[in-house]
Amino acid sequence: MSGTLIWTDRLRIERAVWTFNSYLQTLPMRSQTAKRRELRVNLRAASADVGTKEALRRLGNVRTMAADYIIAEYGGPRPSWWAAIYVALPAFVLMFWLSNARIDAFKGGVIAANPHATGLFHWHGVAYVFTEATFTFVNGKATEVGGTLLPLVYVCIFGLAILVGRLWRVLPTSRRQFAIDSDSE
Amino acid sequence: MPPTHDPQLLKGVLSLLLLRLLADRESYGYEVVQSLHQLGLSDISDGTVYPALARLERESRVSARLVSSSSGPARKYYRPTKAGYAALTDGVSAWLSLADVVTPVLSRPYPPQPVQPTKEV
Repeated sequence: MSGTLIWTDRLRIERAVWTFNSYLQTLPMRSQTAKRRELRVNLRAASADVGTKEALRRLGNVRTMAADYIIAEYGGPRPSWWAAIYVALPAFVLMFWLSNARIDAFKGGVIAANPHATGLFHWHGVAYVFTEATFTFVNGKATEVGGTLLPLVYVCIFGLAILVGRLWRVLPTSRRQFAIDSDSE
Repeated sequence: MPPTHDPQLLKGVLSLLLLRLLADRESYGYEVVQSLHQLGLSDISDGTVYPALARLERESRVSARLVSSSSGPARKYYRPTKAGYAALTDGVSAWLSLADVVTPVLSRPYPPQPVQPTKEV
């Protein structure tokens, strides 16, 4: 079938296929390749049937088609790594800032009571957020052990990032691709 | 010239049509388009059908496999899954039930357009 196509027809088909592909940039690379191949095969079949000009006309707007493919792939708005990063990064910065503020506040409190404080001071932490901390003061200078973020904080931030970025929609795509690849082998 | 169909109406029933055609015969994208054209739905663009097949695949209503072709690269053939057949049964029943209600109403003869009222002076 494709043998009947002359080189100009092939070029026009390739142009349509790669224009279509340029609108699929948000899809995983393997998915883009699969869709490109499928469109090429369909266009070649259509071209052999009704001619390249008519085949391309019947295809319609490739940008609209690509948008439909993206919705079909993700079942709605596509996942956004950037949205996930925009949420996770400030959340981590905020939590680390709070952690430093907590250290400074505790030290400040001890030094305010006794500018030349010496000895061990214990801070009980915050349930589910910060671990307990021990401050060693020597003549008003402090070093600390503990007081780090608890794993629950990391879990919550990652959970929030997944939720905001709709990252769960990335997973089924790769699973489906694997199934197709297995079928074709 | 073949009659044109409301794109919104077609879009609503396209998945059902695709499942029905694929239940008849495992097909690849352009073959499905040809079947739709033969049914008289020539105003459905190919670019509407291909993503619709991808959506059915995501919803696990059709499964796909690559079949090598003697005339070119491998083609992706689709066929309904068990879930696809269940969706087809439900969809056909819902469509026929709706048509049973709507068709008699719409095919009833309606009075001619009323005469425009004269302007009051």
